[in-house]
Parts: sequence; structure tokens; C-alpha cells
Amino acid sequence: MNNELILELKEQIIQALNLEEMTPEDIDTEAPLFGEKGLGLDSIDTLELIMLIEKNYGIKLANPAEGKTIFKSVATLADYVSKNRKK
Amino acid sequence: MRSRIVITGEGIVSAIGTDKAATLTSLREGKSGIGRMRYLQSRHHELPVGEVSLSDTEIKALLGIAPSEEISRNTLLGMLAVGQALKEAGIERNQESGMIPRILLITGTTVGGMDITERHFDDMLTTGKANPCLLKHGCGSSTDDIAAHFGLFSAHTTISTACSSAANALILGAELLKADEADIVVAGGMEALTRFHLNGFHSLMILDQEPCRPFDAQRAGLNLGEGAAFVVMEREADAQERGAAVHAWLSGYGNACDAFHQTASSENGEGAFLAMREALEMARLTPGDIDYINAHGTGTPNNDLSETAALRRVFAEQMPPVSSTKGFTGHTTSASGSIEAVICMLAMRHRFLPSNLRWAHQMPGGITPTLGGQGRALRHVLCNAFGFGGNDTALILSAQPADEGLPSSSSEVRQPVIAAKVEITSEEELAEIRRYVKPLEARRLGRIMKSALLSSLKAMEQAGVSCPDAIITATSLGCLEYSELLLMQLREEGEVMLKPTWFMQSTHNTIGSAVAIHTGCHGYNVTYTQGAQSLEWALWDARRLIRSGRARSVLVGMHDETTPRFRSMMEQLGARDLCPIHSIAMILTCGE
Repeated sequence: MNNELILELKEQIIQALNLEEMTPEDIDTEAPLFGEKGLGLDSIDTLELIMLIEKNYGIKLANPAEGKTIFKSVATLADYVSKNRKK
Repeated sequence: MRSRIVITGEGIVSAIGTDKAATLTSLREGKSGIGRMRYLQSRHHELPVGEVSLSDTEIKALLGIAPSEEISRNTLLGMLAVGQALKEAGIERNQESGMIPRILLITGTTVGGMDITERHFDDMLTTGKANPCLLKHGCGSSTDDIAAHFGLFSAHTTISTACSSAANALILGAELLKADEADIVVAGGMEALTRFHLNGFHSLMILDQEPCRPFDAQRAGLNLGEGAAFVVMEREADAQERGAAVHAWLSGYGNACDAFHQTASSENGEGAFLAMREALEMARLTPGDIDYINAHGTGTPNNDLSETAALRRVFAEQMPPVSSTKGFTGHTTSASGSIEAVICMLAMRHRFLPSNLRWAHQMPGGITPTLGGQGRALRHVLCNAFGFGGNDTALILSAQPADEGLPSSSSEVRQPVIAAKVEITSEEELAEIRRYVKPLEARRLGRIMKSALLSSLKAMEQAGVSCPDAIITATSLGCLEYSELLLMQLREEGEVMLKPTWFMQSTHNTIGSAVAIHTGCHGYNVTYTQGAQSLEWALWDARRLIRSGRARSVLVGMHDETTPRFRSMMEQLGARDLCPIHSIAMILTCGE
């Protein structure tokens, strides 16, 4: 797995979602981002993540529902970004 | 005996007509007003909207206002509808003889003077010179201008609960009449399209690129619309005395908070359910008495699912014909409550069911909305309006007087007392929020939200109240910090995806609903925005709830913030002593 991209994504997530008190080490790459068991993110965070991948990687998602599988964890996100990035 | 509340005049302006007659024709002929934008200056031409067919200049001509006078489209739409309502009810300026009636104006709006602010924002930043338009930015100033235009109102105020604003304005009007604080109330709402909220809704990814299809399995979001509607309300006895024709009775209403999420409705539609149930109880009607429901039905996957759940909980096997008329008008946001109330009145008067346009595919487990019908006697109709933050309101309009629930005669008057009061005046104090709120919840709260939540929770702690029965918020300018950040983003990046975290906290009612979400308070929840008078109105409302026994504890707050840029501009315009943050939170109780 691309560790550089994973670290980069974690840093971007912390910034975009104002996770002020967290460092990349606090985010488990495989753990779920949404729901009680994981980071506890919600629908607004999905939108923030959609904006994030559009802005930083040129990936456009038309339907927020697509985010469900892509944003499952940092690992799934990194995988999707590496395969679909335009920049 | 407490009098029933009647409606004796209506004015309506929307994409399907600039008066009542044209609106009726469009409704009966199934003619939608949704199409390409003509007046809104936006690059998003791919997004269909429900624009009013008149330009600002044309509206000004109708109102006798000079074309050179800068006045927001929002205010102009409001003036047009207020004028129509007054005319229909036969209320004129300079009533010569007899006692001068106390006529109140209550508007519901959220955009205020935003269309003018966004027109001048770039210029102000480039030149560093303040434009007097900033004084017209607040929602309350739109109401000031409407009141000044007609010159017959003894007082006025503004409610801003996002998309339920106008419906809540009608509720306040009815309560003021019942409390004998007014003889005539003109209540309703207005909202003009702005680039600000079009892009904001766009960033929430809830705008359909096709004309909307509420309650359809393939629905893909809402279309924004604009417009205004106002009604003239009076006590039945007063209307009879002055010989006014009664067009409808406002026989019941309910206001509740979903207390779930700032932009999403809960799965079981708790807030909507509570609001509808309260309205039925007040009107002393059963679900079987309702002959038609004008649903909020925005066309977003989330709203229509949640509203369906709430409707099923209330009506079960007795579901009357339901339709959303947003396929005609688009979602007129703050104005939707009064626009749809007037549509309901037209349906009752002319005995037809408004169609749920473009519905074709059954939602799994969903309702089957009506596609229209003629020759239908509608005795009582229910009209829903739900806002961001879960500010949910239901109105019941009747073609005949309902046996409205009167307050139990034994009710002793309770004297409201202030049980706790907390004030925050500096940003340094906000760090204490960590004592009350988990980092995950606090992380996206803007400064005013932190200040409001902290002061509210401290006041509740002092008063020993874990969850108040009602939350009433006052704010002069609302969430200025995030609004400015969004305007900056529009200026610097253009009409791109705006930051959702900022947009979802840019409506005034975000403040009160954040407290409701945190405390799980499903009770009455409303936000006043009438400049410095906002708190006075909020306190009046809180005392009313306690005196009538409808609430034992009410959280009242006045919250405002400014930004360095805004302060320097306002100081150029003569303002002094603007502080970065100011919160006052109080708990009112019945003193037991």
C-alpha cells in the first residue's frame, strides 16, 4: 500500500474535518471512518471528503451515495484515489 | 372565551404566478414554474429554479418605488405579497374614525438582504470602503423596510427558522391575537433566490439537475424557488364585526424540533410527527378529519423518506390525499410555509386537490401522492413546513370552524421567573466548551455556536435543568463568521463547491437547533431576528409559554458575533462598540 498517500490523506482529513486534536497516528488506516465504532463521522463529513478528493485529486463524485464504499476507511479511500486520481 | 383565528386576506407571489388568480390557474392546469434562471446572476444554469417572472425593476414599478432605489429582491417580493393581502382584506392606510387597530407585521425570512450584500461584497473588499447596504443585510431590516413602505403597522418582527420560517410567523401571529396583543396580524414569509444559498444547497448535493419529483422513487433532490406569501389574520369576532369575509380558519398548529442533525431529518421523522400531532390536538381533530395534506416534500431522498415515516405514524391507515406542490413552485425555503398555506386555501375554496407533479415511480414502502382531482370538498387540510436543524412546523387550515381546543379554564396563571442567566463577552471564555462538549461535536462549531452552546449549558446547569421544554433564540445577524467565509470563498474561488461545514451553520436557526440537538429537546423551537429587539420578542414568547402552562422551563438566548472585516466596515458606517462575540442565555421557569 502507498504509505505516502495514506499519510497525506490523513493529514488532509484532519484539516478538512477540523479534527484539531488528532494526529495522523490517531487514525487507524483500516478502521471505519463513519459510525459509532470508528471515527464517528456523518453526512456532512461525506460532503467534505467529496470536496477534498475533487480539490486535491481532481476526482468528481456526482452522487454522495457513492461515498459510502469509497470512504469506508482511509485504506479504501487511498485505494480509490490512487486508481482514479487526475492530479 | 378565547376567539378562533381566521384569515381574511391573502397575497402570493411565486414562480407560478404573481397573484392569487394566476397561482390558481397554474395549479389547476398543472403548469409548473420551474425552469431556467433569468434574473439570478449565477453560472449554475444547469440547475432549474422556480423564479418569480418579474424583474426587480418591474416589481418596483408595481410598488411605486423609484428604479434607482436599492432594495433587496427579498424585500420587494415581501412588499408585493403584503400589499395584495392587505388589499384583499380591505385594510387601508389612514383609517379615519374609531379606534386605531393594532396591526402587526410578522415576516419569516432567512436570506434578508443577502442578494444586495453579495452584489457589493467584492467592491467593498477591493476598495476597503463600506457600502451602506450592509445596514440592510440583516433579516430584520427587510421587515423594517416592508413596514415602512406601508406605514400602517404598530410593530413588526422577523422569524428565521430556515424553511419553516413563514409557517412559524403564522403561529406567532395567532398567538399574539389570542393574547390580545394585536387586533390584526399580517404574517407570512419571503425568500428571494441568491447565489449564496443556491451554491450552499449545491454543496450539500441536494439539488436536482432536472425538475424535482417529490415522493418519487427516482427523486434526486430539490429545485430552489423564490416568492412570498402573506395572510391577514384576525380574531373571528373582530372579523365579523368589521364585516370581513372569512376565507379560512387557522384551527391548529404545532412546532417541534427533530433535534437530530443540522441538515438531515431523522429516520422516524420525530420532529414532524410531534408537530403534526400537536396541530391535530389543538384543532381537536382526528387524522380522519383531514381531507388533504400539503407535504413539505422537497424531493430530496432524505426529506421524503423521513416525512413519509412521520405521516405513516400519524395517519396510519387513514392517509388522506397527499401532495407536495414544490414541483410547481420549487422549494421557496423560508416562504414555503405561507406559500403552501395559501395554496391549501385555494384548494379548499375551489374544491380541488393540487397535483404532486412529475410523480411516476412508487417509493418502496412510500405513499402514493395525489396527481390532482376536482370537485373535492376539503374541510380541513394540513400543511407541513420543515427547516434545517429540524425546526418542524405543521398548520391546520379549515373551511369551517373547528372545535378548537381552548385552554382548560382551571389553569392558574404561572408567573415566569428567571432562574439563571449567563453572559459571555469574550472569545477567551469559549475554551471552557471542552467541559461540556466532546471534541468530535465541538470540532466544527463556529464561534457563535460555541458561545451559544456554552452559555446555554451553563445556564441550564445553574438552573438545574437538564433539558428545557422549549428553546427560543434571538440573534441580530446570526452566524456572521461562516457567512463571511462563504462570501470570501465565492469571491476567491467562484461558484465552486462551498464548504458544507460552513453552509450548514449559516442559517440563524442553526444556533437554537444545535442546543436542541445537544440536549435532545424536541419542544417548541423558534428564532427571532429583529435587530436589538430580538431578545425582547424571544422573552415575550417564553413568558407566554410559561404563563399558559405549555412549558415549565424555557431556554432563551441572544447570540451575536462580528468579524474584524465586518467591524471595520460597520465602524465606517457609524457603528460603535461591536464585540467579536456576545451571548446571553437565560432559563425561565414557572418558579416552582
